[in-house]
Amino acid sequence: MSESISPDVTVDSRGAACPGPLMDLIGKVQDAEPGTVIKLQTSDSGSKGDVPEWVEEAGHDLLDTVEHDDYWSLYVEKTR
Amino acid sequence: MTGYAIVLASGELERVQAVSMIGSIAAASETPVQVFATMNGLTAFEKETVETGDFEVAGPAGYAMLESDGDEVPLFTEQLERAKNLGPLEVYACEMVMDLMDNEIDDYVDVFDGSLGVSGFLQKASDKQVLFV
Repeated sequence: MSESISPDVTVDSRGAACPGPLMDLIGKVQDAEPGTVIKLQTSDSGSKGDVPEWVEEAGHDLLDTVEHDDYWSLYVEKTR
Repeated sequence: MTGYAIVLASGELERVQAVSMIGSIAAASETPVQVFATMNGLTAFEKETVETGDFEVAGPAGYAMLESDGDEVPLFTEQLERAKNLGPLEVYACEMVMDLMDNEIDDYVDVFDGSLGVSGFLQKASDKQVLFV
């Protein structure tokens, strides 16, 4: 499915440990308009689990998580 | 409960980093956070300590963080500065320790919103959940 999602913004947080990727994402989400799709790239396995927790708590949508060789792409839509 | 009041009384790098991470994410998620740095927790913020990287370290996680050199895990000072731009995060220095160490607010890295005594802190903490670290 992920191939069909085209993000408006890509955030490359590969190499950063928790909570770096989440902070990067939050910064982008705050600046974006509702409806914006953000692709967050992270190589931190903790963030792969923690980011979706935040997305749910904050009321946004996790559209998909795609595993690559040494990182993950998380697609997040800002809903409000 | 409308947020967290975190008392940071330890200067151990592991604890200071944990406070900055938890406080930062909470604030960035729109939960008000007040950090009250006291005792050795305030010493960790002295400019000289931060510049030399001469932190108290309790064990292996702390050494690993020091060795990562800020590439993977940003230092608490950067973390807090960044989080203050993202959400309601305030950091206060303990007046008693400042007096004791003969320091001014300018002797600390620039993340503080001011200094507070115990009653000032308790007043700010009155509607918050207090975490003591």
